[in-house]
Amino acid sequence: MSDTAATFTQDRQKLEMAALSAPAVLFTVAMIAFPVVYTIWLGFQTFTSTGKQSFAGLANYSKLISDVEFWHGLWITIALFVLSLALQLVFGVWLALVLFHAKRLPGIVRSLFISPFMMPPVVAGMMWLVILDPSLGAANYILQSLGLPPSDWLASPTWVIPTVALIDSWQWTPYVALIVLGGLQSLPPSVYEAAQIDGASPFKTFQRITLPLLLPTIVTAAILRSVDLLRFFDIIYITTQGGPGNASNTLNIYGFRVGFEFFNIGYASALMLTLTAIVFGAVLAFNRLRGAVAW
Amino acid sequence: MKARMLATHVALPVLVIAASAQAQAADFDWMKFKGKTITFLANNNPVSQALLTYKADFEKLTGMTLKVDGYQEQQMRQRLVTVMNANSDEVDVFMTLPSREGEQFAAAGWYGDLTAMVKNEVAKEYDPSGLSQALLKSATFGGKLTSMPMNIEGPIFYYRTDIFKKCGLEAPKTIKDVEAAAEKIKTCDSTVTPFVSRGLKPAVAYTFSNMLHNIGGTYIANGKSNLCSAKGKEALDTYSRLLRDFGPPGVVNYSFQQISALYRSGRAAMAFESSNELRTVMDGGARLKDTGLLPFPAGEAGQVPTTIGWGLAVSSHSKQPEAAWYFVQWATSPEVQKKMALQGIAPPRPSVAKDPEYRKWIDEEPVRKEWQAALDVLATKGSSEVGYPIVANPESREFIGQAVQDLILKQKPVDQACADADKALDALIAQK
Repeated sequence: MSDTAATFTQDRQKLEMAALSAPAVLFTVAMIAFPVVYTIWLGFQTFTSTGKQSFAGLANYSKLISDVEFWHGLWITIALFVLSLALQLVFGVWLALVLFHAKRLPGIVRSLFISPFMMPPVVAGMMWLVILDPSLGAANYILQSLGLPPSDWLASPTWVIPTVALIDSWQWTPYVALIVLGGLQSLPPSVYEAAQIDGASPFKTFQRITLPLLLPTIVTAAILRSVDLLRFFDIIYITTQGGPGNASNTLNIYGFRVGFEFFNIGYASALMLTLTAIVFGAVLAFNRLRGAVAW
Repeated sequence: MKARMLATHVALPVLVIAASAQAQAADFDWMKFKGKTITFLANNNPVSQALLTYKADFEKLTGMTLKVDGYQEQQMRQRLVTVMNANSDEVDVFMTLPSREGEQFAAAGWYGDLTAMVKNEVAKEYDPSGLSQALLKSATFGGKLTSMPMNIEGPIFYYRTDIFKKCGLEAPKTIKDVEAAAEKIKTCDSTVTPFVSRGLKPAVAYTFSNMLHNIGGTYIANGKSNLCSAKGKEALDTYSRLLRDFGPPGVVNYSFQQISALYRSGRAAMAFESSNELRTVMDGGARLKDTGLLPFPAGEAGQVPTTIGWGLAVSSHSKQPEAAWYFVQWATSPEVQKKMALQGIAPPRPSVAKDPEYRKWIDEEPVRKEWQAALDVLATKGSSEVGYPIVANPESREFIGQAVQDLILKQKPVDQACADADKALDALIAQK
């Protein structure tokens, strides 16, 4: 076959492949792009309580700057994000180390350790709502049995965010542990053998070898959890609906209420796009960090 | 102006119903829309659950298929907002609370107008004039009838007769008696919570409105929010004090689920909660013999109970409103409402409430008798004003709840809590 004929065949094959995959590509792009473009468009509209719509330009975004609830929601979102992520990374690494070293732990126990994240968040929320009920819940019963004072848990403006962070950490720490466990299993054994020969203590080995080598994996887990934590909705909605007062009114909860309870879809879209920008920013920052700690 | 409003809001539903009674179509045929499919967006609550027990009866009677799209209350509204904003005909019939979203949905044009259908397309046995006039009135906006009532409900006062007897207390007749009883129970029986009611921010308005109206307060005076009036402050202070000093820990997260669970478990002496919760509260039978029921005790303005009801509305975007109306008509007919009543759904028809079979069910237990007696007071004296009677009613409930929570949590004094709420509510009232 001549070169020209071969090139023609290759071009034709490429064209056929492009034609065959085009519907799937177009469908996927449309499914992703349409909601985003529509939300951006909605962000420039204003809706009255009766659903009447008009073009508002940047009014929703300028309203956002002067909206006390927005800044409060942002603060709550960040506080919950930092607290939950810290808890999940610390305990996730610890749990991964336990599972890695306790090799003779029965499979059923290992499965139990990692089972919470398989539970739908709505079910987890309902379960913790019952456990943490200040009057009827098991948590206060246990505290009082131990001679400790009861807590208002989710009903206390002071404790609601730490309590929600604890619930989320209970559910998602095993997920972080599973990712870290994968990282641990891929670490080169030769480094540990060298450390052992040099007489390094277990703590020094963890501090100087395990942790630095695990950092890329931990950052990957942090990225995955960050996206979820900044979009955190279900457990708060089930347990507190943003209360007491507005003590757990994250941006997501606030946006939902503005959109679906007060019907101001335009302003809710502006809120959610701002949150999306924050999520992108966090992911980019963690990606840079991952690049810095890669080995 | 007042006379015109009276004509619109009070006389019109009565005229509509009276006219419709004469215009019942002799040739009404339940099979007229045989083969069609009706989509019903339902709130998955006891009212729809009781109704949908008889779904097969409707399908057999009409030859239509009923497709049920059921969600929890908030998710149902979320779905409805999406469907209606998209002008979609996906939903033919939906459940609605006129006291909450009526003004808003009517102004948005989401309700189909049922006025003509009630006149022209009714079965002989439907008897639209037998439905609660108060509920029909609350579902009429701008002279248009927008939904038909499925039930009648409102907050009522549950109290433990055994604890009252032990503590030497009589059934409370006034709000002051409730406060005195709570104080006495606190020392007489420290194992129980003396008083519980709703503390969850969006849920507060349902019970607080009854307190406000009994005390003689109003939400709006001269076009402005009126929570900082003497009566408004008294209502805020009394309601929040009862919950703060005599309520359970964590009451700011309490809505009907928590209240019913606490009372049913025997850990509350008084509960102010929906009449709909009777079945849940009596579940297991532990509270059957030691519970008394009353409308909420009187304040300075007497008893002005909160009375609402779920309604069935036809979507204005439905492509088959007449067929949808047939479902609404069947679901709110005397026959179906009697069946639902026997499942504990309080009927919005006085005739059903007097039906011998229903009376027999009521007479089986003293607590059911008291429940029906309380509902009778709700039906005759009730106000459907839950939160501000404005388009942004759902949002107004947030600010009422916020003021109450600020007081329960001692985050603000009453003057500041009401002033902050009034400021936000004035802005809502000014919205068109």
